[in-house]
Amino acid sequence: MTDTLDHDIRNDIEALEALECELEATEQVETAHDRTLRRRTAVHDIEPGADWNDVEHAILTRRSIRKYKGRQVPAHMVRRIIEMGRFSPSQGNCQPWSFIVVRDKAMIAQMEAYCAAVCQGMTAGVDYTNYPEGSEQRAAIQANTQALNRDNLNSFHPVPMTAIKSIANGRFAVFHKAPTVILLLVDKRGVGVPDIDIGCVGTNIVLAAQSLGLGTCWVGFSKLLSSNAALCEQLGIAPPFELSEAICVGYPIGNPTQQTISRQTHEIIWWEGGEKQILY
Amino acid sequence: MTAPRVEKAVVPPDHLPIWDDPHQALYSQVTIELDKCDGCRLCAVVCPANILEMYGPKDNLKVRLKADVSGCMSCNNCLAVCVAQGVFATEPYDFVGVYEQKRIGPFEFPRRF
Repeated sequence: MTDTLDHDIRNDIEALEALECELEATEQVETAHDRTLRRRTAVHDIEPGADWNDVEHAILTRRSIRKYKGRQVPAHMVRRIIEMGRFSPSQGNCQPWSFIVVRDKAMIAQMEAYCAAVCQGMTAGVDYTNYPEGSEQRAAIQANTQALNRDNLNSFHPVPMTAIKSIANGRFAVFHKAPTVILLLVDKRGVGVPDIDIGCVGTNIVLAAQSLGLGTCWVGFSKLLSSNAALCEQLGIAPPFELSEAICVGYPIGNPTQQTISRQTHEIIWWEGGEKQILY
Repeated sequence: MTAPRVEKAVVPPDHLPIWDDPHQALYSQVTIELDKCDGCRLCAVVCPANILEMYGPKDNLKVRLKADVSGCMSCNNCLAVCVAQGVFATEPYDFVGVYEQKRIGPFEFPRRF
């Protein structure tokens, strides 16, 4: 009985070894047919209404995270998400970007303090709600804000106005007390409109971070740092590079991925077969 | 589900809306379903506009809108973190004049095409 079993096992092992040799032989030689298959672009048609794939899921569950856990993000993960940014598209493939990663608590605090001070200064000149309704001061400051708004392309839209007020009051942190801040610098020598390329880089970084379970938030107020020459020098922001945007990175409080949310629908003008349709 | 809209004031097209005037800057309505709320505070913590607060006794905390602040941008971060789906924003924020939103449809959840 035992002999037969041993014999069977020996036979099996021999058969497996023979099969492995055969496979190795076929792997080494790539036929012309195999190469043709590799050359061809794969077409992956999906059924209508199919489930989200991983990339779509990352896009749909991404939120701008403004409350972070205290825990620092491991350095290799930050390197990893910036690497994804490096592979984003750019005009003329000029790759007009550079990164500054700030993980130093004292430095983030310094950046925060400066931006908050600028916002405090700003509220005096732009926040007319500090003055009683009907007063002359209110009317004057409101006119001033409206003029500034036209010059600064919607910098004083009601949403940033609320934010400026909140930052000045200390209710809202510019860098959201995130453990890591990535500053995105734009190379002004870039082809065409290099700021668009910064948008692409940031989107890649943000989505990669989302897929790794990190939370991110774009911080437009970081631009205020540009007016502080000493801080710029300390951080390493120098021409031809300019500070374009900042992205906060950290572990989110709560699980914002457990529920997708609604967003506005936008008009799509759809031209096909000589006809125009409006879709939403 | 649509929240009642405030009637818009007529203002010149280049006018910056008066952001604390409900006739010129319409923010979203936040719906809170109190029977679903278990007082976990997450929505109040994540709200970027910082307009939610907790109230009530410690063993029966509930969330509510702060009385003196408006500014909901219907980002729905509150809904994203709420495991009971008891808090959500309806209606887009909308500003009159130059900001009046055009070529925009209603808010929708992700649709599968």
